[in-house]
Amino acid sequence: MSAQLRAELLKQRTTRTNLGLVAGMLALVLAAVLLHGLLLPAENLTDGDDQVQVVFGWGEVLGALFAALLGAMTFTAEFRHGTIRPTLLVTPRRGQVVASKLLASVLIGAAFGLLSAGVAVGAASAALAARDIDVQIGTSDYAAVLLGSTGAGALWAAIGVGVGAVVRQQVPALVGISAWLLFVETVLIGDADLVGDLGRFTPGALGRAASGQEPLLAPGLALLLLALYAAAAAAAGWRATSRRDVA
Amino acid sequence: MTAAAISARSLTKRYRDVVAVEELSFSLPPGTVTGFLGPNGAGKTTTLRLLLGLAEPTSGDALVFGRRYRELDHPARRVGAVLESNDFHPARSGRDHLRALAIAAGVAATRVDDVLALVELSGAARRPVRTYSLGMRQRLGLAGALLGEPELLILDEPANGLDPAGMHWLRRFLRGFATDGGTVLVSSHGLAELAQTVDELVIIDRGRLVATGALDELTAGGRSLEDAYLELTGELS
Repeated sequence: MSAQLRAELLKQRTTRTNLGLVAGMLALVLAAVLLHGLLLPAENLTDGDDQVQVVFGWGEVLGALFAALLGAMTFTAEFRHGTIRPTLLVTPRRGQVVASKLLASVLIGAAFGLLSAGVAVGAASAALAARDIDVQIGTSDYAAVLLGSTGAGALWAAIGVGVGAVVRQQVPALVGISAWLLFVETVLIGDADLVGDLGRFTPGALGRAASGQEPLLAPGLALLLLALYAAAAAAAGWRATSRRDVA
Repeated sequence: MTAAAISARSLTKRYRDVVAVEELSFSLPPGTVTGFLGPNGAGKTTTLRLLLGLAEPTSGDALVFGRRYRELDHPARRVGAVLESNDFHPARSGRDHLRALAIAAGVAATRVDDVLALVELSGAARRPVRTYSLGMRQRLGLAGALLGEPELLILDEPANGLDPAGMHWLRRFLRGFATDGGTVLVSSHGLAELAQTVDELVIIDRGRLVATGALDELTAGGRSLEDAYLELTGELS
């Protein structure tokens, strides 16, 4: 197993895909935090909950998104380029392939989440300081923002692996994940409130709650619930990979 | 008695309404080079995928060394296979591609440079695969198959994209591999090419076996391999 994990981590290091993902993630974090932190009226940014939700929380949102894309691509890139064939010829026990991709993605996804949150915290603090707005969040809030984002990145990476293993095709998988997080959850479930209170328990909302953006749901509980989604996605990915032929 | 390097027994693969392989049985004696022939769509690649555990048979058995591929303990040390000529990430170097496979296969890292030298790719090893010609990709694929020093090689159309020198190299390599006790199953469309390389033939058409045996027998009486093939597959009418 550890050999498969080391092979997977080497694959992750030897293309520039992950550098591109990190660059895209950080550029979006900076843009989102600075646009909100510098341009919103000051009265929207005075209390601690608002500050977490409107500026500090972007790290988690974008970290989770990019971690999920990374996780999905561990499978979709192999199908796209045909490397799935040599991968499975060397490791025909497919459960080991799924497990190694899950572990590698969880590790890298956690790093994505932490990095994204760290940059968001720095940029948010700078934006508020530039406008002489006092930061109203305490140590436990910072801990939730950073650790919650790390956990959400790890778990969303696992969700991405499951989606990638089931969908196999790169573009539909990546578009599907992005559309879910950026449109279905935020617009249909968030703004349009289509499912009411259940909207708090969608996987994207649980990631936000894990970083302290949802006053009604404790971060630890949110991570636990998000882990159930991750486990379900991983199981679906394992099932699809074990049962389906590879062309 | 040692198990045949490859044995297909009543092997059948159906995709919804299409029967790709039907009741196919053959086996390969060790130490031979066997040509796997058949028209496009005859089921050659499907058969190879079944043997290599990439696809599951609808019924029957596809065995390597008497076991299902997925149940081999160190598959890369028993079997090396190349199914497509371009199964590489374009941004990854040839060497890194092999390093990842070597780690997963539990093969010593030094073996990577050995196989690169063997297929004469050492000079290009650190370049991304997107800069490789088709012939170079064929050789990189072969290098990956050879990492584990396997006893059996399964190659699908390995001659595609090779120039005459590359073809000559491949032919000599396969002969040498068999002389050293290895077994080779190679599918190809290049009949004249195959006739100079193989000992045995397995010919299939529409998923069914049409002929199997030694090249000498099939081309007995001065008949060319091409004539024999066209007659057996009914392409000559």
